[in-house]
Amino acid sequence: MKQSTMTASAMVLARNDADHRFPHVEDRDGLEELRSHVTGMLKSDDWGGAWQVYELDDLSAIDLAYLVERGLMTPRFADGLGEGRAFAVYGDGLASLEINGEDHLRLVGFRKGDGLESLWPLLNLLDDRLETAVAYAFDPAWGYLTASPARTGTGLRVYATLHLPALMLTGKLASIGLELVKHGLSMAPLWGGAGGVVQVSNSARQQGPESEVVRLVVDLCAEIVEKERSVRKMLLRENPLQARDQIGRSLGLAQHAWTMTFSEAVNLISAAQVGLEAGMVEAPGLGGQSAFELMTKLQPAHIVVEHMDRKVGCLENTEIDEVRARIMREVFAGACVR
Amino acid sequence: MFAEESPDWNPDASSSVECELCGEEPATMHLIRVVEGRVSHTHLCPRCAENLAEQTEGLALVLALPTVLRGAKARAETPAFSTSKSREEKLCPVCGTTSSDLRESGLVGCGNCYQVFGEQLEVMVKRDVEMIEHMGKVPLRGPETDSLRHEIMRLERMLRELVAHERYEEAAGVRDRLTELGQRLQGDDE
Repeated sequence: MKQSTMTASAMVLARNDADHRFPHVEDRDGLEELRSHVTGMLKSDDWGGAWQVYELDDLSAIDLAYLVERGLMTPRFADGLGEGRAFAVYGDGLASLEINGEDHLRLVGFRKGDGLESLWPLLNLLDDRLETAVAYAFDPAWGYLTASPARTGTGLRVYATLHLPALMLTGKLASIGLELVKHGLSMAPLWGGAGGVVQVSNSARQQGPESEVVRLVVDLCAEIVEKERSVRKMLLRENPLQARDQIGRSLGLAQHAWTMTFSEAVNLISAAQVGLEAGMVEAPGLGGQSAFELMTKLQPAHIVVEHMDRKVGCLENTEIDEVRARIMREVFAGACVR
Repeated sequence: MFAEESPDWNPDASSSVECELCGEEPATMHLIRVVEGRVSHTHLCPRCAENLAEQTEGLALVLALPTVLRGAKARAETPAFSTSKSREEKLCPVCGTTSSDLRESGLVGCGNCYQVFGEQLEVMVKRDVEMIEHMGKVPLRGPETDSLRHEIMRLERMLRELVAHERYEEAAGVRDRLTELGQRLQGDDE
């Protein structure tokens, strides 16, 4: 498995049109006008078909969940209601655009593994091009104006997903979280804390140029991952039997379970990944994919879309757990602790 | 693929929240604890948060978010804000948002609200004593004066830092550039 600092990288850039009130107070006509103006522009020849535009009414609950799971749409937008909303995907998933969510426009970018530093230039470029059609609400002192004053400024929120099972197991995440707060960053569990997967983001009204915000997140995350690695080494050195036992049991469950929740799967893959990185585990079925890629594919909407022909309309269906267990058995067939 | 935002992520500047442990200091940290998949939220002062963080063992996951209830701290330091003057109901003529709407939802209705509720918003979002100006990207299409003002603010900040570090020679260069930009700005305004 590849060893990157970050498990996943994402960015959301909020912008508003100066000529309209923010979506939660704007009337239907105003929102519709903005929606048709923006979507019309995205569909125009200028973009050469780079954007795929969706009307929210045309997307099913499964479609929305699938977009959220792929990091193309924020959960808030997927859960939101309101007039004049639309969604567009750029370049087959390189970036996406939420129209009339909490803000008029939110550009979203997502990458597996490291990728924050390449995401900003892309979002920056798309932002410049969108600006040719939308006059952004901006104030020299406040920066880009947003519906939530906490986001006003650069309008940029940077997210780094990290895999920190050893820090979580040893209770060290709390003090790291507090340290991050001092830098205006915060840490939150991604999938309810399963597998020690957490997300670091800049939550405060972050000032300074966008590239510096990105650098701050990248640098601090590199330090955290370094700590994670050293704690793992310490755990494996001081408790070799327990570590081997835990990892071995995880592989056993992965190979022999017939039904499995997403959060259990994430915990097992997380343990297997620790073993793999320590050179303790062999898992030929994983191929070149990272632990995070496997976790991603085991999310409910991914299973319904990619393994069940969308035949299930409800993400709580127990058949999903059965399919997930089957995939786990296939992936971990032949895996062993050395 | 995005972590859920905290449910009370609301920059409410009207209600003071005290630390849930000591009940004395204002709560400026929001801790999320995940124990066996169950999530609990606690609002704490920095000292209690650090103590709790040290005591955490086993599989408990304690995560911290800077609570946006910082307003509580700012109010304690600025007595003027708690007087009746600040309680005056303001109304944005463009979108109809009122001070109470803002307190309730934590959202402003339009760009003009930033002028109308400027003072209230500064208390809500400011991080230190000094309100920090925008230092990032500026719109390409905005009037030239916007980018000029922005550049001036950036240089003024740089000048303060250079003087503080006694790098006077570089500071002189920045000062000259500031004078030049100031003149251009005046020219634009006329």
